[in-house]
Amino acid sequence: MTEVLGDFIRALRAADVRVSTSESIDAGRVVDLVGLGEREILRHALSQVLAKTEDEKQAFRDTFDRYFAFDQFKAKSETSTQQQGDAEREPNAGETQNGSGGMPGPGGGGTEGQPSGGAPAPQDLVAMLEGGDQAALQMALAEAARQAQLNRIRLFTQRGMYTRRMMEIMGLDALNDEIERRESGDPKGAERLSDARDALREQVRDYVEKQLEIFTANAGRQLREEVLSQVRLSNVDRSDMKIMRALVAKMAKRLVALHSRRKKVEKRGQLDMRRTIRANVEFDGLFFHTIWKQQKIDRPKVMAICDVSGSVAQVARFLLMFLYSLQEVLPRVRSFAFSGQLGETTELFERERDIEKALARALMEHGGGSTDYGQAFLDFERLALDDVDHRTTVLILGDARSNYGNPRGDILKKIHARARRVIWLNPEPRSLWNSGDSEMKRLAPYCDTAKTCASLKDLERVISELLRHAT
Amino acid sequence: MNKVVPDVNGDAPSQIAAIRQGFERSGYICNNQIATSIFLAERLQKPLLVEGPPGVGKTELAKATAELLGKPLIRLQCYEGLDEAKALYEWKYGKQLLYTQVLKEKLGDLMSGAQGLKESISRLHEFDDTFFNEEFLEPRPLLKALWQPGGAVLLIDELDKSDDEFEAFLLEILSDYQISIPELGTIKARTTPIVFLTSNNSREIGDALKRRCLHLYIPFPDTELEQRIIRARVPEVEERLRNQLVAFVQGLRALDLKKLPAVSETIDWARTLVLLHARELDAELVRDTLNVLLKFQDDIENVDSEINALTTKALAAS
Repeated sequence: MTEVLGDFIRALRAADVRVSTSESIDAGRVVDLVGLGEREILRHALSQVLAKTEDEKQAFRDTFDRYFAFDQFKAKSETSTQQQGDAEREPNAGETQNGSGGMPGPGGGGTEGQPSGGAPAPQDLVAMLEGGDQAALQMALAEAARQAQLNRIRLFTQRGMYTRRMMEIMGLDALNDEIERRESGDPKGAERLSDARDALREQVRDYVEKQLEIFTANAGRQLREEVLSQVRLSNVDRSDMKIMRALVAKMAKRLVALHSRRKKVEKRGQLDMRRTIRANVEFDGLFFHTIWKQQKIDRPKVMAICDVSGSVAQVARFLLMFLYSLQEVLPRVRSFAFSGQLGETTELFERERDIEKALARALMEHGGGSTDYGQAFLDFERLALDDVDHRTTVLILGDARSNYGNPRGDILKKIHARARRVIWLNPEPRSLWNSGDSEMKRLAPYCDTAKTCASLKDLERVISELLRHAT
Repeated sequence: MNKVVPDVNGDAPSQIAAIRQGFERSGYICNNQIATSIFLAERLQKPLLVEGPPGVGKTELAKATAELLGKPLIRLQCYEGLDEAKALYEWKYGKQLLYTQVLKEKLGDLMSGAQGLKESISRLHEFDDTFFNEEFLEPRPLLKALWQPGGAVLLIDELDKSDDEFEAFLLEILSDYQISIPELGTIKARTTPIVFLTSNNSREIGDALKRRCLHLYIPFPDTELEQRIIRARVPEVEERLRNQLVAFVQGLRALDLKKLPAVSETIDWARTLVLLHARELDAELVRDTLNVLLKFQDDIENVDSEINALTTKALAAS
């Protein structure tokens, strides 16, 4: 059983469930405790030691159902758990107990403690096919899978190889010989046998494909996510949008988990007299225990000014998506969008739950037109400069290409003077800054930081920083 | 470890069924999943972390378990700023001071006949341990649970409200059932208590802690289970009304609300309807009593337009 459990845990890990070693040990104890008699109970019990968040529970349920599916050779398997013993006429005494490589349904509790299942001798395969002993075939198949190390399958191109190897282990050569031998004397029998062989090959391939899916279902997606999180946002294909959205949500969740605790700083040197006296009553009023004044760190107030003209819109989309997924830790986000003129989009995003729709609206209202940073800053000054205070972080996202108009660095200077921090995110690589109509040189001096921000990874880093230094 | 229900020695499934029936007798209706988790928690001697939306009976589960096992329930409510002194133990300073006073008065008698400083000090040393022994220890919930001779059910409620440091501090207790008191050394549990931790997910619980616990997620109950719960908790409600009100609440949970009504709200609503001598749901009645189910004015306003449709559906479902 331990081997099956080990494989199952590997399948779980492939499905994004994090299982530690100690949890695997617990899983073993749980199986010993509840037994394999009842599928439901086993599932509940295992899910309690192995899956520890809501998402993981869902993934666990799916994997459990797929992994412990028992539909191969369905025909007679239910009635024949007892016969399994017969199929194992040639036990390899040294084998570990219960040689089932992949899919013993928990219902097959009868297999526990039986003599070990070595590979059936080749002549057995002929007998099994002729006798139609499905349970024995199932066992032989599982055993062949174990010997062929099917659980190491990683690529779909390996299907053929594994199928062939498993067939060989099950005794394909002897079967072919037998067919050849019969062809001279008993052509009908030979035909029957070769049909059975073909059917068996189908079944083996099916089995291999299922296992491939179990062990690698997520590998492709994980790779894809990894790539997508690093690719330049402006190059993201439309068809990947769904994955990207899920990715943003996932990253945001991680950031929320990291930063949801409100931090405090001890103001060392300032005694909290009231609380100190109270705490020291029990020492007869002697100050054994001093309590210092503390200050709760406020959540950052964020104002995001986003250029939504063609070139930067894509990045703006993800920045806004990020900021609004962080409601729990960033409750006070105000957003502004501009290309020609600037308008506030805070309300739009708060009202519209579907962020995509809100984005489309924002793009429609403020997008288009030629970019004019000067006008945008002017509008911002009028709209919101009064609300910028020493707790506000101003995030500006744009390529600073102002179509040779005056970018009004003086206003940005004013903003910088009032705000806690001004962060400029530029989707262009640093080498392109200041080329052509880019005004980074004139604007960057008024920013605390100016950095390139082109991929989701960059965005995550910036926002994580923002949260860490929140004061 | 004694069995959950002493007269059942059967295999796991029958014991789990026995737990479920035991709960049912004491009015806590649950499904196999919850019963399985209690069985595992008791047998593996692992703490059980219970998560789920507020009002689905997380705390109630601990209470029911205590009742079932006939063990005392010791509860520790977590909050921001909870520290060792409030959770674990405190020295009884007052008593220690008094003791010092007494000692001071008796010092003369004690020292009489002592030859020189050395002997006086060695005599004093004999009293050293008396200051820090269990006599002067004021046990708080965690220590109390470890000291309980027959074992106890320890409920650490709303763990997510406490600080990270407190969570780290719990690790020793949860994995080894022991605590370290600097002056006394390590204190082990007399009988391993059954530990429940609950969390409302207001923040993520750390991985280290999760790894040490079994994890049970209690979702909102399905229609059938909720009907059984109402039948057990509010037996006065007639069957027709019960079916209707459960169907209505289930419909309500499908809507996009700030706070979905939980089981506790359904029970309150059922009691309200009984008080009003209602025999059947109708839109007017629902509108008048909706504030029992929904706790946000926004939600009540949002649902208002849906009430008629939901009521009709609930009536049809029963």
